[in-house]
Amino acid sequence: MADEKDIVKGTSLWKDAWQRLLKNKLAVFGLIVMVIMVIAVTIGPPILRWATGLTPYDIPADADYIKAFPPSWQHPMGTDDAGRDLLARVLQGGRISLMVGVISTFVSLIVGVSYGATAGYLGGKIDNVMMRIVDIIYAIPYILIVIVLLFVFSGENTPNWIDAISSSFGGGAGLNQIFLLFFSLGLVSWLTMARVVRGQVLSLKNQEFVLAARATGVSTFNIIFKHLVPNTLGPVIVYATLTIPSVMLTEAFLSFLGIGVQAPYASWGSLASEGIKNIALFPWQLIFPGVTMALTLFSLNFLGDGLRDALDPQTRKF
Amino acid sequence: MVQISFKRFSLGLVLLSLCAFLAGCSAEASGKYWGEVDVPQDNTMRYITGSEPESLDPQFVTGQPEARILIGLFDRLVEYHPKTLEPIPSLATHWEQNEDGTVYTFYMRNTGKFSNGDPIKATDMVWSIRRALSPELASRYAFLGYDIKYGEAYNANKFFVKDKNGKFLLEKDFSSDPKKEDPIAEDKPASLQPKSLKDPVSAETRTEPDAAPEPAEVKQESEFQKFINSPTRLTVPGDEKDQEKAIKQNPKLKAAFENTELVAVTAEDIGVEAVDDYTVRFKLKQSAPYFVGLLTHQFFAALHRPSIEKFGKEWIKPENIVTSGAYRVSVWKPYDEMIIVKEPNYWDAANVKLDAVKFYPMDEQTTMMNIYKSGRIDALYNHTVPAPWNEYIRQYKNEYLLHPEMSIEYYTLSVKKPPVDNLKVRQALSLAIDRDALEKYRKTVKKLVDFTPEGIFPKYEEARKKVYSRLAKENGISEEQWSKRYFDPERARKLLTEAGYEVKENNGRFSAPSFPADDITISYNTAESNKAVAEFVQAQWRQNLGITVPLKNMEWKTYLPYRSNIEYTGAARAGWVGDYVDPFTFLSQFYTQTNDSSTGWWSAKYDRLIEEANNIADPMARFEKLAEAEFLMISDQPIIPLATSGTSWMKKPYIKGFYPNPGTMHPWKFVYIETDPAKWDENVDNIMSTSDPAVDAQVEALMRTQEQFQQSKTSANSTKNINGKTAE
Amino acid sequence: MLKFILKRLIIIIPMALLVVTLTWGLIRIAPGNFYSGEKKLPPAIEANITKKYGLDKPWYVQYGKMMWNIVQLDFGDSLKYQGQSVNEIIWRHFPYSATIGLLAYMLALLIGLSAGIIAALKQNSLFDYGSMALAMLGLSIPNFVLGPILVLVFSLWLFWVPPARWGGISSLILPVITLAAIYAAYIARLTRAGMLEVLRSDYIRTARAKGLSEKTVLLKHALRGGIIPVVSFTGPALASLLAGTVVVEKVFAIPGLGKIFIESVFNRDEPLTLGIVAFLSILIMVFNLAVDISYGFLDPRIRYE
Repeated sequence: MADEKDIVKGTSLWKDAWQRLLKNKLAVFGLIVMVIMVIAVTIGPPILRWATGLTPYDIPADADYIKAFPPSWQHPMGTDDAGRDLLARVLQGGRISLMVGVISTFVSLIVGVSYGATAGYLGGKIDNVMMRIVDIIYAIPYILIVIVLLFVFSGENTPNWIDAISSSFGGGAGLNQIFLLFFSLGLVSWLTMARVVRGQVLSLKNQEFVLAARATGVSTFNIIFKHLVPNTLGPVIVYATLTIPSVMLTEAFLSFLGIGVQAPYASWGSLASEGIKNIALFPWQLIFPGVTMALTLFSLNFLGDGLRDALDPQTRKF
Repeated sequence: MVQISFKRFSLGLVLLSLCAFLAGCSAEASGKYWGEVDVPQDNTMRYITGSEPESLDPQFVTGQPEARILIGLFDRLVEYHPKTLEPIPSLATHWEQNEDGTVYTFYMRNTGKFSNGDPIKATDMVWSIRRALSPELASRYAFLGYDIKYGEAYNANKFFVKDKNGKFLLEKDFSSDPKKEDPIAEDKPASLQPKSLKDPVSAETRTEPDAAPEPAEVKQESEFQKFINSPTRLTVPGDEKDQEKAIKQNPKLKAAFENTELVAVTAEDIGVEAVDDYTVRFKLKQSAPYFVGLLTHQFFAALHRPSIEKFGKEWIKPENIVTSGAYRVSVWKPYDEMIIVKEPNYWDAANVKLDAVKFYPMDEQTTMMNIYKSGRIDALYNHTVPAPWNEYIRQYKNEYLLHPEMSIEYYTLSVKKPPVDNLKVRQALSLAIDRDALEKYRKTVKKLVDFTPEGIFPKYEEARKKVYSRLAKENGISEEQWSKRYFDPERARKLLTEAGYEVKENNGRFSAPSFPADDITISYNTAESNKAVAEFVQAQWRQNLGITVPLKNMEWKTYLPYRSNIEYTGAARAGWVGDYVDPFTFLSQFYTQTNDSSTGWWSAKYDRLIEEANNIADPMARFEKLAEAEFLMISDQPIIPLATSGTSWMKKPYIKGFYPNPGTMHPWKFVYIETDPAKWDENVDNIMSTSDPAVDAQVEALMRTQEQFQQSKTSANSTKNINGKTAE
Repeated sequence: MLKFILKRLIIIIPMALLVVTLTWGLIRIAPGNFYSGEKKLPPAIEANITKKYGLDKPWYVQYGKMMWNIVQLDFGDSLKYQGQSVNEIIWRHFPYSATIGLLAYMLALLIGLSAGIIAALKQNSLFDYGSMALAMLGLSIPNFVLGPILVLVFSLWLFWVPPARWGGISSLILPVITLAAIYAAYIARLTRAGMLEVLRSDYIRTARAKGLSEKTVLLKHALRGGIIPVVSFTGPALASLLAGTVVVEKVFAIPGLGKIFIESVFNRDEPLTLGIVAFLSILIMVFNLAVDISYGFLDPRIRYE
């Protein structure tokens, strides 16, 4: 019954967790890197522009400079094929990549966890139908879904709220499509999360604390979201930290296929997929976006692990 | 402790890989050749031709990857010249045309054989062309045969109209509508309608029965001859809706349409005929000076009727297929490889040098370059070397081929939608692009401000230069202004201001706040190079006009209807690759009102100039007329020309007889592997002007039959002696 | 149990048909058609094509005809690859994808499970950190980056293996490694997390308290529960691996089903897309069923009513 009691006094649980997280050096490292990364991509581009006049989009007017230059004092990360400063592009790309990861994972978390937990706990016919729906959506190629969504909602058909979000980031036809992409990716990446949560709930729902809760008349909604979901947090957080890179990789994959981020915007994935083509000649075009992306994903993973250890209620038994 | 070692570990990894890359790069730059050079020991060439072939049916496929394979598999009346792509004799030893250029007679060799040993006769050619145009095949390239009389009518399921007296209605009686095939020609200016009357050589009225000249060797006019040389019959669409539309539009037709009987145009009605076993004659609906060149296309290949009729759609399977070319299919593993081997039955087998060619379907540039570098393939197809690599790769002068290509890159403009409906805006947009900078940036292309590529049709360019300077003068364009056509930012800003969108200057930065830049886009289909060019143009407009036009990238199949239905506003990326070596393959794109220029631009005067040009027998005079048309179109700026593409591919030095011709089409029988390194190709920048005795002799020998024929014709002798017997 | 399996097996058929229907709807909503190209077709030619392929009929007639054929397992001919039936294409290219996918998953299981288990047992050891850092590296590098780097090093510098194309065992090494990397990383992390979870659970403590040998505890009890997350991951992962992965097939020019599938979507080759989707969806559903069944064996707490 220890679990039950702990969850009820939730505040101390989170406080404890935070303290445990701070003890985990790897997680702290990840947290620091992420904070730096978020600050860098947020204020980096305007500062860079103010200090050096470099923007992620301006192709040099002088044709002699429209080509790939290796790293130098002027361009610490070198330039891309069109002579644009790679540092500026990596910073700008970071905004998009981080947003892809966060927004899409958030969508997948909300939808996936509630869907999976409900299906797993209710069981029987409802579970059956709900999981078959997941199977069906799973089997439809998401490339097709993305193409159709991008087409149907492009131009005049863009939903107002997407327009609103994108105009709060500067707006424009290109950004609309990028936000559509986030939305589409979120809508195709919650399925596995639902499965994982359901599997977890299935193995938990016959445990004593659930039976006890049911016996004492706790409502189904509360059993699912107050008792079962917190107990699935370990795997869920691990899975969410896996979803962030996987969504970012999916975006990169779409960029690789050419239907990702709209030019002249870039993401780390699209920069890397451009860079890999020139790897033998202009390695910096891969190394800088690639390493930045890898470092971010590293940190996210460390942070996720730390959170898992910190949040897992059973850890304290040892 | 632990995490520090990890940071070190990952940092070390990064540094290690960085060093490795840099080391790799510097090591690569040395050496005479890029990558491995292993001469294949089995006299087999390994080639990458692009993506997986859709089919081996030469009349069905449309892509270049397929075309390159099919050149080897199927013989045509005429073959591509390996360097210029001009027609040289193949199944036909020689040919002639009548005075007005509407009848072409081809004399075939009697040694042509299919891969199963059956002879290739004139009837096979006729059957093949009928099949090519049949509506049941539904070939996407059927329009290549539309110059053949009734070819279009047959392909479009049209009908002849027989009146109650059993006489067919004739087209010339209903020519109030100048474009007879075009039922949608609603808003044609009235001034244009009597055009065909004013102009005696126009296509509609030209074919008088008595005027049809008879080839010398035909004594008796056959039934078919009588029919095909009679005045062009009226044809109406078979589809009821289209038919009604056509009738509604033409009051004369409406009156005559009562009590008539419709007779379907059949395969037997089209203007191609087997005069005897080895003579094919084409009757065209109007003069088409490019016609012989057109016949090099795989669409006009000789196909084997019995096997196609026996196997139906399965006839292209390797176990069923009967081919007619220098090679036959040996192995076809889709997405993996296709091997074609030398055909012993081929009439010119003695001169076929390679034992086999292996084609590997592939579409990733990086992969292709890797596999080329590793020495596992011998040559690549065009545009395979990425543009940014150019500076590095072009050091390998013995392998890298960058030559002008018969293809152009341009932006179409939606000329009916504001703000680009304003000519001044269109001109400003074009003049604000620094094409020299584009050339420097993309490296594999040459700047272009016209619609026909530069460096491909030297004779035409000569004529065009002459005509342009005359027309420029006539139109009051100063020489200075003319010389700055490639880039003139000041004039561009002036034009934009004149159009009502004032361009302001502030510390060397321009802005045109009143220009609705957000309402238009630069649209393009997904491709690395399209994106690079679009970003460049966007930056140019921002720098020179102060407008930031958003980019819009679309997946190919989504993009196509978007552009061709002119759903876009502003500019859309387009490319055009010539089908045959004649400027008309480009200029035809704006010809007729239902053209596919994707701009909405059409001009009656343009059509008339083109028609007049194609009726001129003298090539230079014809080119001048065509140049007039091009000037007219370019002055109206429905497009923004950007560049002539370059070939940009590589081949190992031991592959010879393999040229960077303007269409990247390789007649395989001229290709060979040179085992002696002393004779390998060097500095392939000059490959087109360097003579290769082996190939030159082979080409000359083939061309001799046609040359002799023309000589004998000019010396007014009978041509009978040569007929079909000179091949060997 | 048997009844449960049968019920699930039977339901797969209508579900696959539903997937096909939805996909068909999506293709029809998507703009463009299979025959369009850079050169716009004259209306007459377009009419010939629509007539030849029955596209001039009302949509419900087309849909009905298609579904009737699909029920009889006939997906028709590819629209792009003339004269090749969809069934033929699937069965011709599935073996390539399946070979690479299966090998990659076996490799991934081998590496992932062992690394995950050892890392869990020796929590906070150097091995734990090292293997997990490597796993993260695997998760952080897109395979379109990893593949070309491997090619650069092992094919173009060291000349150990061919850079691309199918042919011989040596040509499989790089694609299998590229494909396996990310799955091995996933599995290692899932295994470690699952094992840690189980090792702390009551029944393991009970087992230990009963005096069972550590080996028995681990292999008979802990492992069974610990790899449940891996098992639930295996279903969809294996299905998508077997059906081919676009990037690896493109980078290494392998004639697999994944590349063909993506191309069919981009080409609007409707019959081919639908055929592969149906094939893929059945594959995924069967694997998921297998996963659900294996839960019952692995975790006695889960029961099927």
